[in-house]
Order: sequence, then C-alpha cells, then structure tokens
Amino acid sequence: MKPVVIAGAGMIAFERRDDDSLVDMLAMASLRAMDDAGLGDHPVDAVIVGNMASGLFNHQVSVASALVDKLSLYPAAAERIENGPASGGSAIKHGYQAIASGMADVVLVAGGEKMREVIGPRATDVVAYMAQPEAEYVYGVSLPAMAGMFARLYMKKYGVTAKHLAQVAIKNQANGLLNPYAHIHMKITMEGILTHPDSVVSNPIVADPLRLYDCCPVSDGAAAVVMTTPEIAKTLSSKPPIEVAGIGQATDTHALHEREDPTDLKAVRIAAEKAFAMARCAPQDVHVAELHDAFTILEIAESEHVGFFEKGEGAKALANGVTSLDGHLPINPSGGLKARGHPVGATGVAQAVELVWQLRGEAGERQVRDAVNAFMVNFGGFGNNVVATVLRRES
Amino acid sequence: MITAYKCKACGQMMYPYHYRCIKCGAREFDKVAPSDSAKLLTYTIIEQLPWGFDERGRVLGVIEFTNKVRAMALIDVDADRDEVKLGMKLSVHWEPVRDDYGEKVYGIVCRPA
Ligand SMILES: [Zn+2]
Repeated sequence: MKPVVIAGAGMIAFERRDDDSLVDMLAMASLRAMDDAGLGDHPVDAVIVGNMASGLFNHQVSVASALVDKLSLYPAAAERIENGPASGGSAIKHGYQAIASGMADVVLVAGGEKMREVIGPRATDVVAYMAQPEAEYVYGVSLPAMAGMFARLYMKKYGVTAKHLAQVAIKNQANGLLNPYAHIHMKITMEGILTHPDSVVSNPIVADPLRLYDCCPVSDGAAAVVMTTPEIAKTLSSKPPIEVAGIGQATDTHALHEREDPTDLKAVRIAAEKAFAMARCAPQDVHVAELHDAFTILEIAESEHVGFFEKGEGAKALANGVTSLDGHLPINPSGGLKARGHPVGATGVAQAVELVWQLRGEAGERQVRDAVNAFMVNFGGFGNNVVATVLRRES
Repeated sequence: MITAYKCKACGQMMYPYHYRCIKCGAREFDKVAPSDSAKLLTYTIIEQLPWGFDERGRVLGVIEFTNKVRAMALIDVDADRDEVKLGMKLSVHWEPVRDDYGEKVYGIVCRPA
C-alpha cells in the first residue's frame, strides 16, 4: 500500500447552528481543509462524507453528492459513509483506502451532523436507532442508558467513583475553554457538579449512575481533512504532512447483554491493537490522544482498553493528572466530545483535525509539547463498531 | 415471551436470533424458552427518555434467566427504586413495554421475586 498523509485540516465551531444546513456546514469545513492543504485548483478525485442520519434529522440524503455540488468539485466520485458515531473515523479509513490503493490521488473527507434541527427527545430517539431493535430499542433504551448500565458494572469492578467521572468532565471542559471550536465554554468545579448539595439540581441524573455532566452535548457541526500521497502533499504546501500511520477497526455483538463480559470493550481493544500493529508502535509511544468520551466513563475505560493503562489504573492516572493537558499523556486536549460537542458524523473527523493541529504545533493555548505520535478512538454504537487511528508527524 | 436459541454444535445460548452461532459459526439451533425467573446483572434508571415515552425514572436492566439466557428488560418496581439491587432475584412477565402510536408493544417485564 502507498503511504497516505493528511495534507489539510479544518472545521467549523460546534454549536447550535440554526442558520446553516448540513451541507453548508460540510462545505464550510471542507473549504478550510482545502485551503489549509493549499489545494488551489488541484483536482479532487473523491469526496467522502461521514454522516449518520441526515435523512432522519434533516430530510436530506445523498449528502456527499450535494457537497460536491456546493463546492463545484464535479466530476469527483462521492459517497456517504454511515457507521453511527464512528462514521467520521470510517470515512477517514475509506479515504485512506482510496489513496493507498492508487484509485485516487486526492480525497476530501468531511464529517458532519445537524442534530439540533429536531427537539432533544427526538435526537435521543434517532441515536437510539443504533440499538438492537427487538431486544433493546423497544424498551426505550437510549445511548446514555446503555452507558449507565455499563458504568454501573465498570465502576463496581474497577473502583471507579462518581468523583473520577466528574474529574473527566472538569478536565475536558477546562480544555474546551482553550478551544475556540468547542461547543461548551464553561468552567466547572467538583463542588458545583458533585459535592455541593445543590449539585443534584445543577447536575441531575440522566441515566443512573450517569449525570448531565457525564454526557456530551447534542451539537451541530462539521470537520474535514484532505488526504493524499506524501509526494503530492509536498507540491501543495510547505506545511508538514501528517502521516496516517495505522488504522484498526473491530466489531462486537449488537446487543450489550450478549457480551460474555459486558465490561470488556472488545472492539476498542482489538481496533487499537490493529492500529498500533499497522503503525509499528505501541501505546507507550503515544504523546497525545483523542478518545471518544461521549460519556465520561468511556474516556477512562477506553484509556485502559487501548493499552495506555492497566485495567483499573485509568481512573488513577486521571486523578494524578497524567491525562491533563500538562500531564505525561494528555487525553482530549480539544475538550473531547464532552466539551467540543458530538455532532455524530463529525466527531471522528474532528478528532483527526485536532490531532493534525497538535502534531503540527498549531493548537494554540492547548498545544501539547513535542508530539510525534497521536492516537484516536472513534466509538460506534455502544462499542459494537470501533475505529482507532494512529497519526504521525514525519520526522 | 422471547425465544432464545442454543447452538447444536457448541451449546452457546443466544438471544436475539443470529443466522450463525456467535461462538462457533454453526447454523443449527434448538429453540429455548427462557425460565420464569431471572437475576439482575446491571441496570440504569433513565430520567430523560427518548421520544415516545411520557415518564421519568424508567428502570431498564440486563437480566440472566435461570437457564442462562440473557436479555434486556424493563424492571417494574413502582415508585420504590431503592429496591433495585444488582444480583436481585426477579419474576419474569411478558407485558406491554411501549406504546407505538396507540399500539401496545410487548417485551420482558421483571418484578422483584
Ligand atoms: Zn456454536
């Protein structure tokens, strides 16, 4: 396979964006990525859009063709990739395959979702369509509910406490304050969300034991990257191209109850192993990571499953500041899904955009020092389809 | 009530139906009726339900029947949610679990045994 790089990255701020259609958001993010790559009039061979549910949220399908039209990139090939909340990570994987196989020289990958077009309970319902229809969805299960059932077992087995979960939220919202693209710009404290008696009002239970601040917000947004070969990247701009060093993907049972050990995120573990094997490096070589913290418990559990920490040690590492912005292994410097927001199909691409900025030294106030290897997990369904990716600055 | 499936080749119990065994890939199964009692493996109390539910404090859990079939279920404890405990014994019933535009949809409902 030919080596593949990300030559350009861009996104728009995640927030409630009533005035922009999904395709407008994808187009705005795409232009930023194209300009960042110095693409100019260089042809784009293919446009790949990561999106979960434009038909349900926005009454529009074939959004990749619509994006080509908005950007006048005809006759580029165009497809939408749907893999639930991992649609963005999957879209990048398909961009990689197109370049590595030699079928395309330049691919634009954009991820986006416009969820706030519908009211909150509707959005929760659409997201719950990921669940197993007759064995899960029918009961009124939501993704927070699945995370709640997972959290109850994980916390008991590994000694993770409500305080640990709150520490994830506090850390990521602190990082989000430094990210102009983040949806949530609000400093929170342990007292405000957990220890003060009024916290039962300010931070109510959503799906016990998970509270409001354990869950990511519902956001609109889009992010994009331009993928190409290292040779072409060098002709386009002087910015250091970021190598897509490894991608791993794995699946697991649809229904949570069919997993032999429901606390084992097998797909996260296998996807990470595959990505590290392909990138010829180990979890210990990672300098910065974006993990899929749709729920605070997931940041802790994923940090263990991908091999950063032993099982049961993730919460301790968090509490000791290891995963803070100034720690040994900063996790979610962008603020993660918790603060940046989680426009479902945009998330995997936004994780890559953040890591490109971190590896280039363009991350502003939240810059992690001297990062060479970066790692991301994009978690689909409730862990039944996971994409892990290693990005690397060429030395 | 639901039907579970036991792999004829390796004995793996499955619900819902898979065309191939989740453990060994074989394609032949014996139909198994779950037993009428179960224990609670994990649960959550949902305060913000999706569209289509006009309630708060719905308790959902993962249960394991005495004959090892596992499933998600609605845990009916009326108002006393403190009653819900991991590992608790449950009686199992087949009752409406949601209303789909006026039509009752049935599912597993458990009560403390
Ligand atoms: Zn079998």
